[in-house]
Amino acid sequence: MKRSARGTRATALAAAAALALGLAAGCSEKATGGSGGTDAQGVKTGPGVTADTIRVGVETDLTGVYAPLGKSLTQAQQMYFEELNAAGGVCGRKVELVVRDHGYDVQRAMSGYSELSSSVIGIAQFVGSPMVTALKQRITSDKMFVLPNAWSTTLLGNQYIQVTGTTYDVDMINALDFLTKQKGIKKGDKVGHVYFEGDYGESALNGSKYATEQLGLTLVEQKIKATDNDMSAQVAALKNAGVKAILMSAGPRQSASLAGVARAKGILVPIVTSNSGFSPQLLQTPAAKALLAEFYMATAGAPIGADLPPVRKIADSYAKKYPGQPRDNAVVNGYTNAVIFADALKKACAAKDLTREGLVKAHRSSTNYDGGYGTPMDFSKVNEPATRKSYILRTDAKAVGGLVVERDAAESEAAETYKVPAGT
Amino acid sequence: MSDRRWLLPAAAAAATALLLVLPFYLGTFWLQTGLFAMSAAIGAIGLNLLTGATGQLSMGHAFFLAVGAYGYVYLASDSGPHLSGLGLPTPLAFLGAIVLAGVAGGLFSPIAGRLRGTYLGIASLALIFIGQHVLFNAESVTGGFNGRDVPPLELFGLRFDDSPELVVLNVPLGALERLWFLGVALLVPAVWIARGVLRGRPGRALNTIRDHEVAASVMGVPVARYRAGVFTLSSMYAGAAGALLALVFRRTVPDYFGMFLSLDYLAMIVIGGLGTAAGAVAGAVFVSVLPQLLTRFGDDLPLVAAPGSGGVSPAEAARILYGAAVVAVVLFLPGGLAGLWTRLRATASRHRSARPLTRLEQEEQPV
Amino acid sequence: MSTFVELVVNGVSVGAVYALIALGFVIIFKATEVVNFAHASLLLVGGYVTAVLHDDIGFLPALGAGIGTAALAGALIEVLVLRRARVENHAVLAIVTIGVDIMMTTELTRRIGTEVLSLGDPWQSRIVTIGGVGIAETRIAALAVASLLITAFLLAFRYTPWGVAMRAAAEDGEAAALMGIRLTRVSLGAWAVAGALAAVAALFLTVFPTPGLDRSTSFAAMKAFPAAILGGLDSTTGALAGGLIVGLTESLVTGYQGQLDFMGRGAGDVAPFLVMLLVLLVRPAGLFGTRELSRV
Repeated sequence: MKRSARGTRATALAAAAALALGLAAGCSEKATGGSGGTDAQGVKTGPGVTADTIRVGVETDLTGVYAPLGKSLTQAQQMYFEELNAAGGVCGRKVELVVRDHGYDVQRAMSGYSELSSSVIGIAQFVGSPMVTALKQRITSDKMFVLPNAWSTTLLGNQYIQVTGTTYDVDMINALDFLTKQKGIKKGDKVGHVYFEGDYGESALNGSKYATEQLGLTLVEQKIKATDNDMSAQVAALKNAGVKAILMSAGPRQSASLAGVARAKGILVPIVTSNSGFSPQLLQTPAAKALLAEFYMATAGAPIGADLPPVRKIADSYAKKYPGQPRDNAVVNGYTNAVIFADALKKACAAKDLTREGLVKAHRSSTNYDGGYGTPMDFSKVNEPATRKSYILRTDAKAVGGLVVERDAAESEAAETYKVPAGT
Repeated sequence: MSDRRWLLPAAAAAATALLLVLPFYLGTFWLQTGLFAMSAAIGAIGLNLLTGATGQLSMGHAFFLAVGAYGYVYLASDSGPHLSGLGLPTPLAFLGAIVLAGVAGGLFSPIAGRLRGTYLGIASLALIFIGQHVLFNAESVTGGFNGRDVPPLELFGLRFDDSPELVVLNVPLGALERLWFLGVALLVPAVWIARGVLRGRPGRALNTIRDHEVAASVMGVPVARYRAGVFTLSSMYAGAAGALLALVFRRTVPDYFGMFLSLDYLAMIVIGGLGTAAGAVAGAVFVSVLPQLLTRFGDDLPLVAAPGSGGVSPAEAARILYGAAVVAVVLFLPGGLAGLWTRLRATASRHRSARPLTRLEQEEQPV
Repeated sequence: MSTFVELVVNGVSVGAVYALIALGFVIIFKATEVVNFAHASLLLVGGYVTAVLHDDIGFLPALGAGIGTAALAGALIEVLVLRRARVENHAVLAIVTIGVDIMMTTELTRRIGTEVLSLGDPWQSRIVTIGGVGIAETRIAALAVASLLITAFLLAFRYTPWGVAMRAAAEDGEAAALMGIRLTRVSLGAWAVAGALAAVAALFLTVFPTPGLDRSTSFAAMKAFPAAILGGLDSTTGALAGGLIVGLTESLVTGYQGQLDFMGRGAGDVAPFLVMLLVLLVRPAGLFGTRELSRV
């Protein structure tokens, strides 16, 4: 086992090189101070902003379980920023999206964030509340402005994270208000709530617990997992309990299974889902018939099929740009969040402060934001959802996106008195 | 043989020196990738002791990583209104986490001791599912679905955190840079101990158990004790990897410690090379860095595939390459990356180019 | 009471489907001593082909094509990968199937993309009510088809030359080879049969009450692991028993989760694994598995 002389020399060389590297460490690029400065127009700039571009991050899921959502959101945002750049951009700069796919994996989201943390001014789309929650500390220390695409109350209470629209609990409260006022649910009735484990389901459950207590109803809880696809056991339990309505805070597949089983068993009670519980693709499956009967959704955003001119414009341009792609509510949600982000950029530019602090400050100064896409929002209260008004939508096979407005955005009494548990 | 005695330490020292210098140059992204790789390397060494050297298929490695990660958080955190904790000094909590993982492994070893091969593999899969169920439900300890914040480690007055600021040689050393040094300080002894175990009597005993259990016990190897021992040791490695990972993440979430993590570790030791510490390290680096490289430099590919075209995204390309690497290594590179290195060197020295190395010889090769 | 009957019927029917998958594991294990982690992707292949073709060529031909493709995929894995891997360590062979699974699943989920694919089954969402208990037709079909296939398989295993060859190979490979049994053909057949069974299972895992085939379907294949181990990895009877136990446990624990609060919520998924651990503690080779005896 003799060793060649070459090996020895290589080792010695490596050692010498390491030593030299060590001595040279002082000249590392990292030794230079942080970026930033002031441009010719007197606008203060920070990370992600150069003389001619503003880089905006997107942390999304294009390959994991929420890929359908991530794809619609990302394409809609790319469409908006292209329109914005064609109209001259912001602050004399083009806006550039930096898209990172985390496949709904926390570790990959963290790597992606580390890359974005030094190169973008903020994040206009962040899919997945486990990922945002895991990065909360770093988002705070980086002062990174983030618009998450998740609506749980755990994400409230941080000035850098802006949950747009309502939170899941508020939606469920408004849903129960709708059921009692318009669907004949009376005091003493039982209402079922099927929900995902995790902060999505539990946020929603907080709301249904509060509202059922306020309205004198009894709540029958059924917790499920994201991997459960067959709702027979849940329906059997709910049927046994004799529920008069079912709330659903899970994924589209679970909604389809629940509605299918319930209808097939002759349970025709109304079903109201949270805003993540339906996708128009389901109307192409055998579950369609069940999903078109007494199936509602409670959400803060206007549906893509809504009769609002700005929303119709989004739907039309999206169809033109991405022919054949499903037009769901995520398109509107992605687009409007991009608008909110861009408006904050514009405001920050007007205040001559395009740093991260400047951006958050500009954004949080909007108390009555209205982009014309539905309900106005108040971004100044860190511990409150931006609005407490939810639309009630109904499934409709003919509508774009499969949903039409059943009841306009409104804030119920119970939602008004409800204290949102921010941060938990 | 005469020059071998100083050459190996020299090479090891050079590699260590290089590792120590890197944080002065690398950006956040690479630092983090490197830390994931170091943590994976520690965990993979542990699994290689168990699966590679002893032939005990374990699919429950992610569970022991979770014990380490959550153990550290529980031991180091103070009790709050919703979450409980013991509030121990953080270095003690770190050691405690490793011990806890070892205890968990020790508790499972009566089951492990009764089962053979595949049965053990799938029984250990149960650990993952039951473990995650507990992580989701024992909210006062684990924080449930949302997980818990990880208190930063504090060692001899040095906080492994972004604040207070620390500047060395004009380079500001943040949490990741500091953790990098911790990672190196853990990885080096991890490799060293594993090599010691594998090269000495225990290593030979473990290999005999893998190759022929009955023969091993005939020759007087206390099989049950060795099996329990290696299970415990491997769990402790996983515990250390988990605790380090928790410090890098700064937050533990139960979702992460699922079956796919266990499968990743198995892939690492196969790609790197079964039964050696160097193999585990090589495999860990490969598996941790490949997807990052593709995502980072996959920008030329369209990230959102054009409608109808359905192009392969960088993330998907990484997955496919990763699966292909596992298959290719088994088919064409028995011995993995570490074995390739040994073979290349053997060819270079032209001593035995005509004849491939036997397994025994391969294991004797310094790597 | 009717809830209980319903849960039992559901459990038995789902269990029969798990048994189909577990049977595939067992056949492959018996013939080649490999644990096939690529089983989930065989299932996806079968389901995907059926889903894509049924609109054009009708349900039954599409299902036939799905079964054929999955069988072919299984055979290809055997020929291209396992036959060529010259390793003695069976753990390594198991890991190589993980590699195969990752590749196939990634490509298939990419193709499935954001869709939820319907397999075009004739039963749709109809429900039959027998004595006040409502049972989905798909459940009855699943039970009937699975029992039929399992019986046919067990008979073939006992009486056909292929079955005899397989049992001989499992008993003692070398002796079987000396007796003129072509081991390669036996293992090729095992992989093809396992693929075909997985494709049938895919059908019943994606029909009502589940919405259809999508990227998460392959998770269901995981349930067959505890089923196969519970019964004993080298026992076909064991696969049947294991499948039923897993299906029943899951259905009952989920159905009565309100009364089982102490187990934590969402216990239906872990209960099969708990049962598996308990069985293994008492019988380390599963309920019907062969115990390896070695006295020193």
